[in-house]
Amino acid sequence: MTARHIIGGCAAVLLTALGAATMGPTVVAVRAQGPDIGTQAQRDSGKTLYLKNCSQCHGDNGDGEGYATPHLFPKPRNFTSGKFKVRTTPNGALPTHQDLVNIIRRGMPYTSMPAWPGLSDGEVSDLAYFIKTFYPDFASAEAPKPMELPSAPASTQASIDLGKKLYVDTGCVKCHGNVGRGDGASAPTLMDEFGQPIRAANLTQSWTFRGGSTREDIFRTMTTGLNGTPMPSFTEALTVEQRWAITDYITSLSGSEGPNYRNLVVAKHVLDTIDMAKGAANFAAAPAARFPIIGQIMEPGREFHPPVTSVMVQAVYDEESIAFLVRWNDMRVDNTGTAGPMLPVPIEEEAAKPAAAPGAAAAAAADPFAETTTAEAPPSEFNDAVAIQIPSAIPTGARKPYFIFGDAQSPVDLWFFDLARKEPIQFTGRGSADLAENDTGDLTGTASYDQGEWSVIFKRPLRPSTGAAFVPGTFLPVAFSVWDGFSRERGNRRALTSWYSIYVEPEVVTSAAAPMIRTALIILVFELVVVGLVRRRYGAGARGALGGEPSHPAATRA
Amino acid sequence: MNIPVVLAILVVFAFLAFRKANLFILALAWWIGAFVFFRFGFTAPIPASVISIYMGIVSLATLAFVSSSEQRREEVSRPLLRLMTEKRFAPLLAATIIAIPALAAANVYVQMNVPIEPPFFPRTIHPASPPEITVHEKKISIDLGDNPFRELEKSNPQEFRQHVENGRRVYYQNCVFCHGDNLAGNGMFVHGLDPIPTNFADGDTIANLRETFLFWRASKGGPGLPEEGGPWNSAMPAWEKILKEDEIWDAVLFLYEFTGERPRAREEHAQ
Repeated sequence: MTARHIIGGCAAVLLTALGAATMGPTVVAVRAQGPDIGTQAQRDSGKTLYLKNCSQCHGDNGDGEGYATPHLFPKPRNFTSGKFKVRTTPNGALPTHQDLVNIIRRGMPYTSMPAWPGLSDGEVSDLAYFIKTFYPDFASAEAPKPMELPSAPASTQASIDLGKKLYVDTGCVKCHGNVGRGDGASAPTLMDEFGQPIRAANLTQSWTFRGGSTREDIFRTMTTGLNGTPMPSFTEALTVEQRWAITDYITSLSGSEGPNYRNLVVAKHVLDTIDMAKGAANFAAAPAARFPIIGQIMEPGREFHPPVTSVMVQAVYDEESIAFLVRWNDMRVDNTGTAGPMLPVPIEEEAAKPAAAPGAAAAAAADPFAETTTAEAPPSEFNDAVAIQIPSAIPTGARKPYFIFGDAQSPVDLWFFDLARKEPIQFTGRGSADLAENDTGDLTGTASYDQGEWSVIFKRPLRPSTGAAFVPGTFLPVAFSVWDGFSRERGNRRALTSWYSIYVEPEVVTSAAAPMIRTALIILVFELVVVGLVRRRYGAGARGALGGEPSHPAATRA
Repeated sequence: MNIPVVLAILVVFAFLAFRKANLFILALAWWIGAFVFFRFGFTAPIPASVISIYMGIVSLATLAFVSSSEQRREEVSRPLLRLMTEKRFAPLLAATIIAIPALAAANVYVQMNVPIEPPFFPRTIHPASPPEITVHEKKISIDLGDNPFRELEKSNPQEFRQHVENGRRVYYQNCVFCHGDNLAGNGMFVHGLDPIPTNFADGDTIANLRETFLFWRASKGGPGLPEEGGPWNSAMPAWEKILKEDEIWDAVLFLYEFTGERPRAREEHAQ
C-alpha cells in the first residue's frame, strides 16, 4: 500500500463523514414530511404475517370481514375506513406508525383483539406497514404527527373533586352514567360510524378500557377521541388541566388497578337476624369476591360477547338462613318482557348483530350530547335475570354436577330471579335442556337497581327441606349466570361463571393466640430448665470448670 | 444442579476450614449447608417431605459424629456452656432464650393463618380415550381410525388445502374464544376458565396426540371425559352439537398446519 493510497483513503473517509454530518438532518426532515410506509420488503413481510395471524378476523382485504367477524363484538377494525380508535393524533386523523405498533403489541382488553407478545419488534412494525396499504391516505399524505401529550401532574383530592364536577358539566354522564357505570341515558342508543351498536365504557372497571387504563391512556383518549365512535375529542371544550382532573376522577372510580378475581367467597356469620328490608346493609361484614363472567359458548344458542364481565358476591348467614348479595353493572333495567333459563334461542341468532335494539339506528343520528334524547331505544323482549347455582346434594368427592345447569347423574339447584318479578324461583337442573321448576317455597329474594348496578339478594334456609345444606366449616361449589335483557339474553344465551366455591366460615374462628402462647411457654420453660441445670453444675458467671482453658478452642484441637 | 448455590456453600466451608472453626460452628454449618443444598441446590425442586427425611438423616449423622468421642463432645458443648454461664454473654443468652419461643410462636401463627383455599381435586389431563365413539350416528374408531382427509396431503394437495382452510374458518368461528388467536390457549375467556384451555402451540402437546384423540376430545368435549378427567369442570363444548363431522376433522388438520406439528402416528401392534 503506497502513501498515496493511504492519503486517498483518509480523504474518502473524511468526505463521507462530512457528507453524513451535513446530509443527516436533511434526510430526517424529508422523512418526517413524507409518508411513513416502509419498504416493499417490510410490507411483503407484513403481508405474510397478516395473512397468517390477522386475516381470520380483519379479512384478507382488511375490510374487517374475516371468518370470525359474525361472532365478534366489538367488530374487528375495518382498515379500509382509515378510522382508528386508539391514537396519539388529533381527532379524525390517521394514527402514527407507533400507535399501530402499540395496539398490536397491547391488544384491546375484553375484546377479541389479543396482545401479540410473541411477535418481534420488526414483525409488528412490518404488520403496521402492511395495514397502512389498506388505506391510500397513509401513502399520499405526510406521516401523521402525534399531539402534544403533557406528562401527568400528581393526582390530588382537589383535582378528583374538580374532575367530578367537570364530568357532570361536560356531559360525560349522558353516556357513561352518573357514577361511570356506562349507563347514561344515551348509552342504549349509541352507534358507531359503521352502523354497529357500541357500548359506553364502564368507567368503574378500568381494566376493561380498550385503550389502556393508565392515567396517560385516559388523558389521551379524552384528548384525541376515539375515531369512528361517539367518543369525541375534548381539546376544544376542556383545558389540559381540566382533562387531567377528569382523568383523576375516572381513575378514582375503579377502586383497584385490576379486577382481583377470586375463586372463593367467604360467608360470614352474623349475630343479627338477616332482614331483607335492610338490603345490602346485612352484608357490611362480609368480604366481596369478584368472579369473572364469560359467555355461554358451550351449548347451542351461544353468547359470544356478554356485556357483563364480572359479578361481585358477598354472603352472610345467621342461625337459620344464608343470604347472597350479587351485584353487577347493567346499562339499563329491562323488565317489560319475559325471562327464563330455558327460553329457546334460534341457532341463527348466534351470528346476528348483537344488542342492536330495533330502531336504535334512527336514534343514533341523535347527538349523544343533545339536551333531550330525541329517540329512546325501544324496550327489549327479554328481562334482566340472574341465577345462583349449587349442587342439589353436597358432593362427596371430586365429582360435581356439570357446571352448566348440572347433568343427569348430579343435578343442581338453580335459584333463578327474573328481575321483573318480586321473588326468585327454584329450578332443578339436569342439563341445559332439562330444567324443571321445583319451588320448595323456602327461597326468597329482593332486587334493586341503582345508577347502573343491580343488587340482588337471595335468602334460603341453611338446612332446607330438600337440597344441599350449608354447613359451617365446609366448602360448597357455587356458580352464577347473568342475563342482560337489552342484549336479548335468555336461556342459553347468557353470561356465566364456571364452578367457584363458597366457604361457610364457622361462627367462632379459632384464634391463633392460645396455641402461640402455649408453644412459646413450653419452649421457654424447657430453655430455663436447661440453663438452670447447666448453671448449677458449672457455676454462673464463674470461669469454673472451663476457666483454665484457652479461649480459642481450635488450639486444643490442633 | 444450581451451580452458584453449590459454589457459595463450598466457599463458606472453605472459609470455615481456613479459620479452623470450632466443631459446634462446623456442625451448625453442615446442618444449614445441607438444608440449603437440598432446598436450593437443584434446579428441579425436591419435595418438602423428602427434604425433611434427608434433614432427619443429616441431623442424626451430625449428632452421632459430634458425640463419637469425649473430645468432640466437649468441643461442641463448650461454646454452649460458655454462653449459658459466662456473665459477658448474659445479654446474648437472654436474647436467645426469648428469640426461640418467639420464632416458634410466629411459626404457629403462620401455620394457622394459611389462606383459605377451596379443596383441590387433581385430574388427568389426557385420559385414555374410548376405543370407539359415535358421532352423528356414525361409528368412529379412535384406536384404529385416522383423519379421513390426512391422506389428501399426498394424494391431492389442492383439496387438502381446502380442508385446512375450512378448518381455519371453523377454528376462528368457534375455538378462538378460549384457545386464542395464535392457538396458545390464551383466548379472551381464559381468565374465567379452570381447567385452562389446551395450548396447541407449545410444540409438544398435539405432537404427542393422535388426530383421532383430538377428534374425540372435540366432538364429545368436557362432558365426554371419563371421571378422572373431571368432566364437570371442563368448558370444552361437545362440538358434535354444533359442528358437522367433517368440520371437526378439518379443524384438527388446521391445528397441525398452523403450528407446524405432525400428529403422532398410530402404534402398530404385532399381529
